[in-house]
Amino acid sequence: MSSKHQGNHWRKDSPRRITEYTDSKPATLPAIMLEPVGRRASAWLARLICGALMVALFGHGLPGMAAENDVVLIANPQLAIGPLPRDTARAIFAMRQRTSPSGQALHVMVLPDAHPVHARFAKGLLDVYPHQLRLAWDRMVFSGTGQAPERVASQAEMLKQVATTPGGLGYIERGYLDDSVHVLPLAE
Amino acid sequence: MTVSMSCRWQSSFRVRWSLAALAGLVCQPAQAADAMDTLQVHGFISQAWLISDDNDLFGPSSEGGGSYQYTELGANLSFRPHPDVLVAAQVLSRRAGGEGDDLQPKLDHGVIDYEWLSNTERRLGLQLGRFKNPFGFYNQTRDMAFTRPGILLPQSIYFDRTRSLALASDGISIYNEEYLDSGTLRLQAGVGNPQAGSDLDGALGLGESPGSFEGETSYIGQLLYEHEEGHVTAALSAADVEAGYRNGKPGPGDGTFHFQPWILSLQYTEELWSLTAEYALRGIQLEDFDAPGRNTDTTGESWYVQYTRRFQENWQWLLRYDVLVNDRDDPSGTRFEAAGGGPAYTRYAKDLTTGIQWRLHPQVLLAAEYHAIEGTGWLPASDSDTLPEKYWNLFLMQASFRF
Repeated sequence: MSSKHQGNHWRKDSPRRITEYTDSKPATLPAIMLEPVGRRASAWLARLICGALMVALFGHGLPGMAAENDVVLIANPQLAIGPLPRDTARAIFAMRQRTSPSGQALHVMVLPDAHPVHARFAKGLLDVYPHQLRLAWDRMVFSGTGQAPERVASQAEMLKQVATTPGGLGYIERGYLDDSVHVLPLAE
Repeated sequence: MTVSMSCRWQSSFRVRWSLAALAGLVCQPAQAADAMDTLQVHGFISQAWLISDDNDLFGPSSEGGGSYQYTELGANLSFRPHPDVLVAAQVLSRRAGGEGDDLQPKLDHGVIDYEWLSNTERRLGLQLGRFKNPFGFYNQTRDMAFTRPGILLPQSIYFDRTRSLALASDGISIYNEEYLDSGTLRLQAGVGNPQAGSDLDGALGLGESPGSFEGETSYIGQLLYEHEEGHVTAALSAADVEAGYRNGKPGPGDGTFHFQPWILSLQYTEELWSLTAEYALRGIQLEDFDAPGRNTDTTGESWYVQYTRRFQENWQWLLRYDVLVNDRDDPSGTRFEAAGGGPAYTRYAKDLTTGIQWRLHPQVLLAAEYHAIEGTGWLPASDSDTLPEKYWNLFLMQASFRF
């Protein structure tokens, strides 16, 4: 089973599922063959056709594209972790829990605070606000009670770092996935 | 800038060498390379400008151009010589009024942290060295602007006049986190010697006497509960702090200072706003002094309610009302005044604060804030002979940089 398929179950309440959309494409094609009746009518028709095409191509295309945008938790392939409880994931990314449930040392990586994927990861998967994570890290770093996660600049770098760092754990949009990392489903 | 800074930081070399020695004890050669991979260095610089209509805070704030004498510089490093061991230390330079010498770097914290147990149910470990006292929501990082809701923390609880006692303790601290179904329970408890700086001598009216206070074995603990997704956080902090006054003869003689604060902390957080409140009872006893007037037993009371609102991604607005009473039995200070101790309003303070923070870059924070204050209960002891004013206004601006 490829890691991409494994990841489909990660969010049970996700409103955006991959759907089949090929069946709806031909619906508007006959309209293109109609003869124009007059200027106003043809303009009206052109608008209708454009609208219908937009709906056909993009409206139904949205679920598929959204899935590409979905943020997934990724792990170094050497990490033997099953589905991760959300609470555990939250404690790990808050840098409080430093080992996996199986006892392996973790190396947490995050995108910059202002990166939109970071906000979507924090709110969507961990159910915390980015400002709460930032405060938790700062409080640890500046009180001598812990360390900050490693920051990577982009999703491409995230993928590379998680794939090559022992214990590596991070997140990217599904569209960036390849077989170099595991997708970790989240359990409630 | 670089040159002058490196001079000021020279005394931190000793810290660095002690850390290297400590690392040598817990670090095996094969792990040295891995340990270097975990090395992190962070720091911050803050500079503030204060202006007040009356009463000086942190330098001559009530004179012409205000005061720039509020500067905070900190730098820390941490690494893991072993997966279960964290070595962390921070030096802090801070000037809040007073002499320029105050910028002399001091060891803010320096610990070896051993995590004995960490799994999906709990976390258990201990810290050895100079650990930050877990005291209310803000004490452990009180000097780092980015972790504060405003430029000044609520002074009724995080007051400056005896701050040295609250900062850190030299000793041992244990921590335990329990991951429950409903949330996380965190316990931290420590025993150690607090720092007792000259601020304590001054605040207790012994600044002119020959002796000084020294921290003695003290206890501190905090129980903190974070409900599920962190919307609700509640904490109870308690301490029994002791400092001995030595070499006071022939004036006040030797004596003991006891400080027993209790702090109840509550916070509710949403994505765009937080409501925070803390309430403290502070027991203060001076005992065993020869001069009978020196021995006192009072309980102070402090509380504040604070609303913060985040907007436009990088902005935060603060509104806070903060009240300090030095003696619960005499909240308005009238008995104190009647007994000839001084103006009643020096025994309490009511501070209405509003402020704004702008993170114009992840590493840069700009802040401005205004305080309308009645009373001078938390105003640090000054050398001036003139009496402070009862009603005063304070405006502050601060720029902070972090790395």
